[in-house]
Amino acid sequence: MSGEDRLDVDSPLTLPGFFSALADGDLLAGVCADCGEVLLPPRPACYGCGSRNVDVEPQPKTGEIYSYTAVHTPPPALEDDAPYTIAVVELDSGGRLTGRVDANYDAVGIGDPVELGTRALTDEERSLALEHELEWPLHVFEPV
Amino acid sequence: MPQPVIAAVGSSPVGRTDFPGRDLFSLALEEAFEGLPDPAELADAVYVGNQSEQYEHQIMHGTLLAEWAGLRNVPAERVEGCAAAGALALRHAAKDVRNGEHEGVLACGVEKMTAGGTGGATDALSAAFDRAIEQRSGVTAPSQYALLAQRYLHETDATEEDLAEIAVKNHRNAAKNPRAQFSDEIDTDTVLESPPVAPPLKLYDCAPVGDGAAVALVTTAAVADELGVPWVTVAGTGTAANNIAVAERNMTEIEGAAVAAESAYEEAGLEPEDVDVAEVHDAFTVSEALLSEAAGFAPTGYGYQSYLPPESREAGWTDVSLSPSGGLKARGHPIGATGILQAIEAYEQLTGVAGDRAVPGAETALLLNEGGVADAVTVAHVLTAGTEVAR
Repeated sequence: MSGEDRLDVDSPLTLPGFFSALADGDLLAGVCADCGEVLLPPRPACYGCGSRNVDVEPQPKTGEIYSYTAVHTPPPALEDDAPYTIAVVELDSGGRLTGRVDANYDAVGIGDPVELGTRALTDEERSLALEHELEWPLHVFEPV
Repeated sequence: MPQPVIAAVGSSPVGRTDFPGRDLFSLALEEAFEGLPDPAELADAVYVGNQSEQYEHQIMHGTLLAEWAGLRNVPAERVEGCAAAGALALRHAAKDVRNGEHEGVLACGVEKMTAGGTGGATDALSAAFDRAIEQRSGVTAPSQYALLAQRYLHETDATEEDLAEIAVKNHRNAAKNPRAQFSDEIDTDTVLESPPVAPPLKLYDCAPVGDGAAVALVTTAAVADELGVPWVTVAGTGTAANNIAVAERNMTEIEGAAVAAESAYEEAGLEPEDVDVAEVHDAFTVSEALLSEAAGFAPTGYGYQSYLPPESREAGWTDVSLSPSGGLKARGHPIGATGILQAIEAYEQLTGVAGDRAVPGAETALLLNEGGVADAVTVAHVLTAGTEVAR
């Protein structure tokens, strides 16, 4: 790795860099220059082939529900939010991401189109957050 | 190289207890070494599977349990891989004996899960998932496995009733197991009508929270024969870590478990068809289905038939008996101890002391122990009958 590529908090290959871009509305992924694997969030090495030749590229924020559920027995701090819907979403780029879905469980199905947005943490979520996470937005999928 | 064997086993009661972890371990050790020389005479190293310091605000379980077993100034360490910690401890012990580093090792597991109530356990277990994306979204262990279950039901012919039948079968088995947390048989409606935890999973699809400790003495056949105790051979072991975030994995074919199982089979020189009895990581009913496929017992998409007698299963299934102990679902799942509890069931099946739940003629067992959701880490062991026993 050359000097100017060194990892720092602005690099999207680290979580502060990834969430800072997300707060600005950009969903960034690592894309393996050797095998094309989409790494979400970005990371310095590709789990598909082992290469460290990873580019960072903006991703489409649209995709569809791959699987989903609802949390009825949440961590105690989130008790008032339950039940809330969680899904694995396959983005149009092929990368998959777990996240909240802003819809009731009964209104969601496999294959439904969704779009990724962000919001600030609630007070309850802030109570669970570590200090370095307080300014990270939470990604949430909205039905399209 | 000496072949590692398990020569003595013991466990504490599993479930809600008044004991802290170290006392649970004392109960397990007392059973394992009843009538035997002191542990310090037979073992000179200790591995302890333990998930979380969040329950008892205690780490250093290697040091602590070595001390409680009467061993001092020996190698002793806690190993961690969430619910796979117990099998990791067994694997380290078996490798140490095989490579001649130690002649006897205590493979232990302990968890005091009930200390913080259900909420405390929910919090502690969620630490096994990716922090940045998964935990911050509010996932829980049941919801992680529900994502697998939902997709499995979508892609295969399996139904929620099939998953319920796996729970029914495992409760039926546990009713014959004196070590089990649950001794009650249940019917399909009990499962289907139980409260939703993370749909399609309901309360009775989920393994319970419980305390427990377990220990196995891993040594050589020569030592076991000298002691005059029955033993089973640790013929093969394998482990594999897959990505921590479940979304990044194949969610209907549990690749890491297949890799771990294949390496254990290869080391043992055996095939899936050779396995008579298997304890797989049924933390949630869907796991037994998925792991039956990963272990090579069932054709892809038909693992959910694990509850059926062999003659009623899809062509391509082996005649293996799954989770005769009652599995995590009903024998219980004190996280760090589970991998050792699985080994205890295999030991009892292969030494002819499994009583009413004995699988007739069982000579080979496969154990699959997982940590995190599904194959975030999997540990596999193949155990084979050692001493001749009347069966």
